[in-house]
Amino acid sequence: MPTIEVNQKDLCSLIGRTLSLSQLKEAVLFAKAEIESADGDILKLDSKDTNRPDLWSAEGIAREISGRMKRTGIPEYKTRKSDVKVIVDPKLRNIRPLTVCAVVKNLNITSQVLSQMIQLQEKVSLTFGRNRKEVAIGVYDLHKITPPIRFTTTTPDGIKFIPLEFTKEMTPRQILEQHPKGREFSHLLDGMHEYPIFIDNADEVLSMPPIINSDYTGKVTEDTTDLFIECSGFNPKFLIHALNVIVAALADRGGQLETVDIQLPGGRKLITPDLRPKKTKANLDFINRISGLSLTISQLKKLLEQARYSVVKTRGKEIELLYPAYRQDIMHMADVAEDVIISYGYNKIKPEQPKLATIGRQNEIETFSEVCAQLMIGLGCQEVISYILTSKNSLFGSMLLPESDVAEIENYVSKNWNVFRNWLIPGLLNFLSKNKNQEYPQKIFEIGDVVILDRKQETRTRDVRKLACALTHTQTGYEDISSMLDAFFSNLGISCMLARKNHPSFIPGRCAKILVKGTELGIIGEIHPQVLNNRNLERPVVCFELDLEKIFSYIHRNK
Amino acid sequence: MAKTYVLTEEGRKYLEKGLPETNLVNALERPIPINELRSKVENFSIALLWAKKNGWVRLEKGILFPVKKPEKSEVLESLEKISSGHMISEEMLSVLKKRRLIQPKKETLEKKAEKLAGREITNLTPELIKTGLWKKTKLKAYNIHAVGEKIHPGKRHPYSQFLCQVRRKLVEMGFKEMPGHLIESEFWNFDALYQAQDHPSRDWTQTYSLKIPNSGSLPARKIVSQVKATHESGWKTGSTGWGYKWDPRKAAKLMPRAHTTACSARQLASGVEIPGKYFAISRCFRPDVIDATHGVEFNQTEGIVIDPSLTFKNLLGLLEQFAVEIAGAEDIRFYPDYYPFTEPSCQLSAKHPKLGWMEFAGAGIFRPELTLPLGIKEPVIAWGLGIDRLAMFKLEIRDIRNLFTSSIGMLRKQKILW
Repeated sequence: MPTIEVNQKDLCSLIGRTLSLSQLKEAVLFAKAEIESADGDILKLDSKDTNRPDLWSAEGIAREISGRMKRTGIPEYKTRKSDVKVIVDPKLRNIRPLTVCAVVKNLNITSQVLSQMIQLQEKVSLTFGRNRKEVAIGVYDLHKITPPIRFTTTTPDGIKFIPLEFTKEMTPRQILEQHPKGREFSHLLDGMHEYPIFIDNADEVLSMPPIINSDYTGKVTEDTTDLFIECSGFNPKFLIHALNVIVAALADRGGQLETVDIQLPGGRKLITPDLRPKKTKANLDFINRISGLSLTISQLKKLLEQARYSVVKTRGKEIELLYPAYRQDIMHMADVAEDVIISYGYNKIKPEQPKLATIGRQNEIETFSEVCAQLMIGLGCQEVISYILTSKNSLFGSMLLPESDVAEIENYVSKNWNVFRNWLIPGLLNFLSKNKNQEYPQKIFEIGDVVILDRKQETRTRDVRKLACALTHTQTGYEDISSMLDAFFSNLGISCMLARKNHPSFIPGRCAKILVKGTELGIIGEIHPQVLNNRNLERPVVCFELDLEKIFSYIHRNK
Repeated sequence: MAKTYVLTEEGRKYLEKGLPETNLVNALERPIPINELRSKVENFSIALLWAKKNGWVRLEKGILFPVKKPEKSEVLESLEKISSGHMISEEMLSVLKKRRLIQPKKETLEKKAEKLAGREITNLTPELIKTGLWKKTKLKAYNIHAVGEKIHPGKRHPYSQFLCQVRRKLVEMGFKEMPGHLIESEFWNFDALYQAQDHPSRDWTQTYSLKIPNSGSLPARKIVSQVKATHESGWKTGSTGWGYKWDPRKAAKLMPRAHTTACSARQLASGVEIPGKYFAISRCFRPDVIDATHGVEFNQTEGIVIDPSLTFKNLLGLLEQFAVEIAGAEDIRFYPDYYPFTEPSCQLSAKHPKLGWMEFAGAGIFRPELTLPLGIKEPVIAWGLGIDRLAMFKLEIRDIRNLFTSSIGMLRKQKILW
């Protein structure tokens, strides 16, 4: 959820009404936002809608509020044709093939306008543009540019320019290595032999997207009046949307929008920005059925216009609508319905509890797990919960086991948590190793899922519910755990058999497999001293681990 | 003081019925096969052992021959003496002790207890209680502040206690639990929920992907083709769709479950009761940097309600019910919200008497682009509860990492939740 800062006075002047903080708290709900904190005039807002970048600035929030207060309908955005052309080089095809651009003139850039513009640009490229990967946005002083502008490539040691906030000329390679923004975003150009660059007809560099603007053209101050704006990336859908959001906000500040001709490779042409309204529909019955409200057609029209739609035509219960081009989120009438309900006010609707006769039930394995936990508690054990994610060393190396395949994460955050556990005992030993200075004896158990690879499954894996128990004390021995196991099974009314087993994690001759009617469903034994050394454990540990699903299905079969 | 001895049970039996070895010799008038004798003489093996040792019999090829008959038995005489309270030789004492025919005479209960009469005593013993002699004693007053050795009872983990409570509450409210998978295909985690394959929310920084196993299989072809058509052009849902080419290979990729909504999608596709209420409490995984508010893993509680009559008003009603029943809220407030798979969407903040306002639940009506391709025509309310935060409050934990604490000291100290 993007967090944005706005100035209360600035916001009120955009809305066109002076509102108190408590009135604003109410009003920002129309813009799907919540005031998180207020420090003097500075309001911190949580924007709830990650799919509506148009709501991530004071201008966008004001638009929604003033619409609801004044029933203003759709905001109009007029564009004129500028004389700026952008020529896109085909060499960019596998680098950063696309740009969409706009010109905004006659802006009065106050400090508020500037800070909102920078914030919106940052939030859009961060959240919506996947941190500049999909959408990088550049804003420039139009007066310092000599069109036409070329969007082309340079070699890492090719064109030199002074990057923003620097004083000396640098090559693209030097920028990636030395400039803070270069270092932050250089991964976006990894593996490329040439880098994208905007350059004008006087060979003045505008920027090297998605990294940095030039200090000369790419520096916008309160003295700037005319802007050139470009969004570069790959997917026209994202780029056009980002551009529309930015220029609509600037138009709301009084800027005059002008279009830019973009000449694409292969003779294709694009004229942006395109702020013509888009069409959609609303149906009274549909809106009433989904909302539970009983609106009349005129009430519905009013709520729609408050939500900044405009009504083109009404035919019975069907309304043809226009909505502004800065929105790309409307795909279905359900989206329109939500806007209507927001106009109506969520907190004005009386909640009605659904009266449905249904029977509740928890999963059987949960019930069985609870029963098993009861038994383990009765045996004096403390339940512990470990992470399901762990490391290969915890599961294999430190347990003296040869490494084998387990479910493994590709883009892990930490190697300590990059595989799914396939048994529980290593986790219990890890737990004990963190409690060496606590009172003994320590008797612990865990009930939890492990992941087993299974090619037959749709997900190539299977979750198995397991129970493991570990005891440690200065004089703990095998019989302490076998008597525990015996008590566990006899209280479930099951007779189990033990058969000798060799397992590298256990002391040879002190390990057994647990069998019920010939089915192996667990292991019991005393942990090998080398495994204890590997975890710096200083007292003997005995333990068992059981497959609860096998036990459960055995009980089920023999009911 | 010399010990006095009494006969053991076996000793008394021998005194009454004769020694087994004597009985054996008496029964052996002529050589008899050993197997025939076995059933005739009581305690045969003891009898044979001592008869041989005394040289009264001889065993040859399974036949027992009489050698001589004893005139008197020193053992028997000693037993008689002990029985009548006389002393016997040290030598015989040790023989009888070895044969476990005598034992030291124990003080009688009465005698033991009598000694304590009139005294102030600490321990109330079974003897004192049985004989009633406790009446003649004075039981010493104890230091009632004394506490014995610390006891750490076996307990469930506080977080499981909490999750069990939530599960019980939901079952009471008529919800059925859904099964789930820790590892899911992107299809169930995203595509079936109408999240576009190129949407920012599917970026690798937001979710984990799997290296092993990398790719799974897709469900029934009908569902897959309906989901594909909806993503590409809206299919029959009345939607514009996302307008891109849907890739089944991306959908088949596997990932650790990022949210419980994946369970709801599977449940809808596998068939639901109408009316139906379902829930799941499940472990989810996201590549967050771990801090006081982000653990390695977290639990989500989510569910769905299905019925032809459901509206947004019911959604608010349901959230209100959760706030009261599960969070114990005294006031609630609704906020417009956004989830990629619901429209309209709503967030509920609940005011807890002690905690104050907290974001507690989110809900929405599943988009038709989600429900129709899975074969569901009825409106479906989807809801989720912020239970980790409620758990932290109820368990008085400030750092989310302590929900999965690895300190046994902390677990031992934690009070029981009820």
